[in-house]
Amino acid sequence: MKNIIIIIVALIAVFFATFTYTVDERETAIKLKFNEIVETDIKPGLHFKLPMVNSIRKFPTLILTLDAKPDDFLTNKKKSLVVDFFVKWRIANVSDFYRATQGNLSRAQNRLESIMKDGLRNEFSTRTIHEAITGERGEIMDSMRDKAAETAARLGIEIIDTRVSMIDFPPTATLSVYARMESERIRVAQEFRSKGKAAGEKIRAVADREATIIEANAYRDAEKLRGEGDAKSANVSASAFQKDAEFYAFYRSLSAYRKSLGKSGDIMVVEPDADFFKYFKNQSGQ
Amino acid sequence: MPWNEPGGGDKDPWGKGKSSGNSNGKPTGSATDNIEDITRKMNEKLGGLFGKKKTGSDGSGNGGPSAAALGGIGAVILIGWLATGFYTIDAAENGVEFRFGAFNKITEPGLHWKFPKPIDSVEKVNIDKQRKVEDRMHMLTQDENIIDLQVTAHYKIKSIKDYLFNVYLPDLESNQQRGTIFQVMRSALREVAGKNTLDSILTENRSLIGTETLKGMQTVLDKYGSGLEVVKVNLDDAAVPKEVKQAFDDVNKAQEDLVRYKHEAEAYAEAVVPVAEGKASRLLEAAEAYKSQIISKAEGDASRFSQLMAEYQKAPDVTRNRLYLETIEEVYQNSTKVMVDTKSGNNLLYLPLNQLGNDNSKEKSSDFNPITSGAVEALRNQREQQQKVRSSNTRSGVREGR
Repeated sequence: MKNIIIIIVALIAVFFATFTYTVDERETAIKLKFNEIVETDIKPGLHFKLPMVNSIRKFPTLILTLDAKPDDFLTNKKKSLVVDFFVKWRIANVSDFYRATQGNLSRAQNRLESIMKDGLRNEFSTRTIHEAITGERGEIMDSMRDKAAETAARLGIEIIDTRVSMIDFPPTATLSVYARMESERIRVAQEFRSKGKAAGEKIRAVADREATIIEANAYRDAEKLRGEGDAKSANVSASAFQKDAEFYAFYRSLSAYRKSLGKSGDIMVVEPDADFFKYFKNQSGQ
Repeated sequence: MPWNEPGGGDKDPWGKGKSSGNSNGKPTGSATDNIEDITRKMNEKLGGLFGKKKTGSDGSGNGGPSAAALGGIGAVILIGWLATGFYTIDAAENGVEFRFGAFNKITEPGLHWKFPKPIDSVEKVNIDKQRKVEDRMHMLTQDENIIDLQVTAHYKIKSIKDYLFNVYLPDLESNQQRGTIFQVMRSALREVAGKNTLDSILTENRSLIGTETLKGMQTVLDKYGSGLEVVKVNLDDAAVPKEVKQAFDDVNKAQEDLVRYKHEAEAYAEAVVPVAEGKASRLLEAAEAYKSQIISKAEGDASRFSQLMAEYQKAPDVTRNRLYLETIEEVYQNSTKVMVDTKSGNNLLYLPLNQLGNDNSKEKSSDFNPITSGAVEALRNQREQQQKVRSSNTRSGVREGR
C-alpha cells in the first residue's frame, strides 16, 4: 500500500517533469519534433510535450541590446571618426530566427553588428564631419535602420532602433582640436582685452574733451567778464576825465611820476632850468 | 536583474501559515541571467510538487489506519506547502504574480497569498524609489569643440508591466552602464550637445541641456515601452577639458580685464572732468573778481579826480603848482640826483655811475655832484636808455597790478 502510493507519486512527478514545460511571460517558445519545427509562438504558461519526441527552444520576447564596440568610420573627406552605437532589436519571427541562427543569440548579434556597421560606413562616407556630429545624427540612424531592416527580417529580427551613443575624433585628431580650441580662446581673450583698452581710451578721450571744453568755455566766459570790466572802467574813467582833459593829463602825469620815479637807488640827472628849480637859482624866479 | 525569484518560501519554518506569513516571500535576490535556467528548474520542481499534492488527496480518501496516518502526514505536508504561499509587499513595492511563468496579476502592498512555489511565483519591484543614472564624459559640440559634461538622470517606474515585460535590462543599478536607460541617456545627451555650440552650453543654454536631454530620453524610452519615466536630468557639470582649461580661464580673465580697463578709464574721467570744472570755476571767479576790481578802481579814480577837479577849477594856478611841487618833491626825495648845468661850465663830465649805483645807500643824502657839461652827450644817451628800461618795467608792473 505504502509502496504503491510512493510509486504513484513518483510516476506523477516524473510525468509532470517530462510531459510539461512552462514558458515565462518574457519568453516565447518553439516546439520541435525531431528537430523539425512543429509549433511556434507558444504563449507563456504551462504546456505539454512528448518526452524524447519533442524538444522545446525558448527565446526572449524582450527588446534586446546590441552594444557595438567603438569603431572607426570615415567621412566623405576621409577624416575618421570613432563611433559607438547600439541597436535595439527583438526576435520578431521565431522560426525564421531559429532557422537562420540555430537559436544562438550571440551569433545573431554578430550578424546584426556586421550588417549595421556596413550600413553605417555607407552613411558616414557620404557626409561631412559636421553633418555627422550635428543635425543628421538622427537621420543617419533612421536611414541605417530602414536599410538594415530587410536583411534583419530574413534573420527573423526586427530592428526597433539604432542610436549613436558616441561620436568622437580619434585621439590624434583630438589633440589638434584642443590646439584649435586653445588658439580660438587666445583670440577671444585678445579681443576682450583690446576692446577693453579701446573702450578705456574712448572714455579717457571723452573725458579729456569734456575737460578741455569746460576749460575753454570758462576762459571765454572769464575773458568776457574781464572785457566787461575793462569797458565799464574805461567808460567810468573817460566820462570823469573828459570834463577837463588838460588837467587830467597833468594829474595823471604827476601820479605816474610818483609811482615810477623817486625810488631809492634811482639816479636822476636833472637840469637846473626845470620848473622845479625856478627858485633854485634866485628868489625872484627869473 | 529585473526579475527576482522569490525563493524564501522553501526555507520557511514549519508552522501556522498566518503567523509565519510575514517572513514568507522575501526576495533572496538570487538571480540569473538565463531565463531558460529558471524555467527549467521550475519545471522540475513543478512535477515533483504536483505529485505530492496528489498524494495528500489520495491519502485522505483511503480508510485504513496506516492510510490515515499516511493521510495525516500528507495533510501536514500539504498545509505546510500551502503556507509557503504567503508573502508581503512593502509599502514602496508592487508585486507581480506569475502562474506557470505567465503573467497573472499585480499585487499592492500588504499580505498576499499565492499558490506556492512551482505553480505561482512573485517578483517584487520597488516602484516608489527614485532611481538615478550618472555619466561623465567628453563629447563633441556643434562647433566641433570638445566639452566635458556630467549628468545625472533621475527616473522612476511608471508602469511595472512595461518595465518587466518589454525591454531586457531597462536599468541596472548594480552596473549602470548595462542598463538601457544609461545608453539612452548617453545618446540623448550627445545629440543635444551636438546641436549646441560650446559657448552656448557653457553659458546661456546650460539650463536647457537637462530639459532637452530629458525630452530626448523620454521619447526613446516610450518608443521602447520601457515603463520608465525620467523625472529630471541635472547637468551637474559642464566644463572644458583640462587640456584647454587654462586658455578658457584666460578668456574669463580677459573679460574681467575689459571691465577693469573701462573702470580705470572711468576713474580717470572722474578725476579729469571735475578738476576741469574746478579750474573753470576758478577762472570765472577770478574774472568776476577782476571785473569788480577794475570797475571799482575806475570809479574810485574817477571820483577822486572829479572831486579834485572841482577844487582845482576854483583855484587852478595855486592847485596846479602845489600838486606839481609836492609830486616832484616826493620823487626827488628818495633818489640820487645829478645836476647838470648845460648852459654854463665844463664840457667834461665824469659820472661814476657804477659807484653811484652800488653805493647809493651811503649817499642817500643825495649830494649834488657838480658835473661839467663836457660829456653831456654820452650822459644823455645813457639817460635815454635808462628811461626806456624803466618805462618798460613800469608798464609790466601796471599789468601785474591788474
